[in-house]
Amino acid sequence: MKILTYLHILVLVFFISYDVKAKNQIVADLSQENVKITTDFLGAKILLFGAYDGQKGDDIIVVVTGPKGLVTVQKKEKVFGIWVKTKSVNYINAPKYLNISSNRDINKILNQKTQKISEIGLNNLKIRLQPGKKVQKEKEWREALTRNMLKSKLWSLNENSISLNKNALFRSYLNLPSNVITGQFEVKILHYRNSKLISKELSTINVSKSGVSAEIYNIAQNYSTLYGIFAVILAVLVGWGTNLIFRKV
Amino acid sequence: MYIYLPIAEQPIHSLAILGVGTFLGLIMGLVGVGGGFLLTPIMMFLGIPPPVAVASVANQLVAPSVSGVLSHWKRGNVDFKMGTVLLLGGVVGSSIGVVIFNFLGKIGQLDLVIKSSYVVFLTLIGSLMLSESLNLILRKRKGKVSRGKLHQHNWLHGLPFKTRFRKSKLYISVLLPIFIGIIVGILAALMGIGGGFIIVPAMIYLLGMPTSLVVGTSLFQIIFVAANTTILQASQNQTVDIVLASILLLGSVVGVQVGSRFTNILKGEYLRLILSTLIILVSLKLLTDLITIPSDIFSVIISR
Repeated sequence: MKILTYLHILVLVFFISYDVKAKNQIVADLSQENVKITTDFLGAKILLFGAYDGQKGDDIIVVVTGPKGLVTVQKKEKVFGIWVKTKSVNYINAPKYLNISSNRDINKILNQKTQKISEIGLNNLKIRLQPGKKVQKEKEWREALTRNMLKSKLWSLNENSISLNKNALFRSYLNLPSNVITGQFEVKILHYRNSKLISKELSTINVSKSGVSAEIYNIAQNYSTLYGIFAVILAVLVGWGTNLIFRKV
Repeated sequence: MYIYLPIAEQPIHSLAILGVGTFLGLIMGLVGVGGGFLLTPIMMFLGIPPPVAVASVANQLVAPSVSGVLSHWKRGNVDFKMGTVLLLGGVVGSSIGVVIFNFLGKIGQLDLVIKSSYVVFLTLIGSLMLSESLNLILRKRKGKVSRGKLHQHNWLHGLPFKTRFRKSKLYISVLLPIFIGIIVGILAALMGIGGGFIIVPAMIYLLGMPTSLVVGTSLFQIIFVAANTTILQASQNQTVDIVLASILLLGSVVGVQVGSRFTNILKGEYLRLILSTLIILVSLKLLTDLITIPSDIFSVIISR
């Protein structure tokens, strides 16, 4: 399996490097485009590789963004000696997965202003608050969001993680943690020369539940009462069964 | 060997879960109570989200209860009439409990309520059990084992709708067991317990039932309360993880059978001493989690 993957990569790199030289562009591929969450899922490591028509000093930044949606940040305060969740703020389009990788420090590649405009960097993403709700000290909440997402490994910033080879090839790894959310992941590969974007490539990764685990999840969601009844019957049968077995022992 | 839990949405070591299930089954078999109220906190310590832990433990409780009732039934130790009255209350109570559960989940205070109810009840039960077993051990050392009064009359016996429970040799108001059933049902749904540790003392001290019937009858009603909780949690909150519950129940049914075979070898009061220490330790751990300053006062909830 592994050997096949590498062979596939070699052949691909060989052909695309010709193509790239001709058209002054960047091409990339992923070792895995469909990630299946099965019963033995412990996370996934995806190899991202490709070729670009580069010069010395060129940079590559890869931004992988997972499905966006509601993420709530909660704050705890001490009430009668106990830490209780007292306040919360809703972000309505926060990415539930985010991975930013680059070949060197992003601050050396792009200045702050460009980072902000092109939404590169953990704090430069435009994440909207739920409209109609006034939020005080917004910066504190946003920092808490970033901090907690980084801690859960759903967000990550990996500067210096992309290796460049002879100004023609690049390679990087993406880690999807075991708690990853299902959906479509957008992969953006950006090629910079002197802080100017000269080419880019888009790709997608599909993360979905598969096999028994997916079946169980779907049944629990769509036929929830039947699922509950089945869970009870199963427990009754096991209880009754062991009684029969152990009576004979 | 890791296995991905489809509802908890995380992988967990299956042997660890199996071990925990077996261990708690052993305790259940040895002491007669103690499945859920230790199992749910341990699941939470292992990182299972509290709502999933509560609902899945309710599901797994059905199995050892069925198996337990069958063996008690054979020995004639189940009062089905009393059990039915209790479970009517229990079914009503657990339905109320699931509604409260749903509401607390919506306002985001579910974890807090689950954890603090555990602290309160575990501390209470743990210290009662501890003092009782210590007392018994001390009295036995002195060579005196006195019996308390078998039956006491108080205002509870003045309530209306008196019914005769032949098996338990009782003539009491039907409201009392129904009320006990409701309270236990609510707690069962909220905390993921069978409620044996509340209902057993209530049957002995409040109803005055003969001790020989207490465990079998409480297990009988637990089956229905746990089953009702499971179905309602599944349909209302989608929090029952059947994979988690299955691994737990496989361990626990074996544990119960093995445990119940050793009840005559090990001394009950020493067992209870160990169990109560365990309960107090679990409750202390939960309490410290609630009162120590969190490593981050902010936390994040990602909607699926």
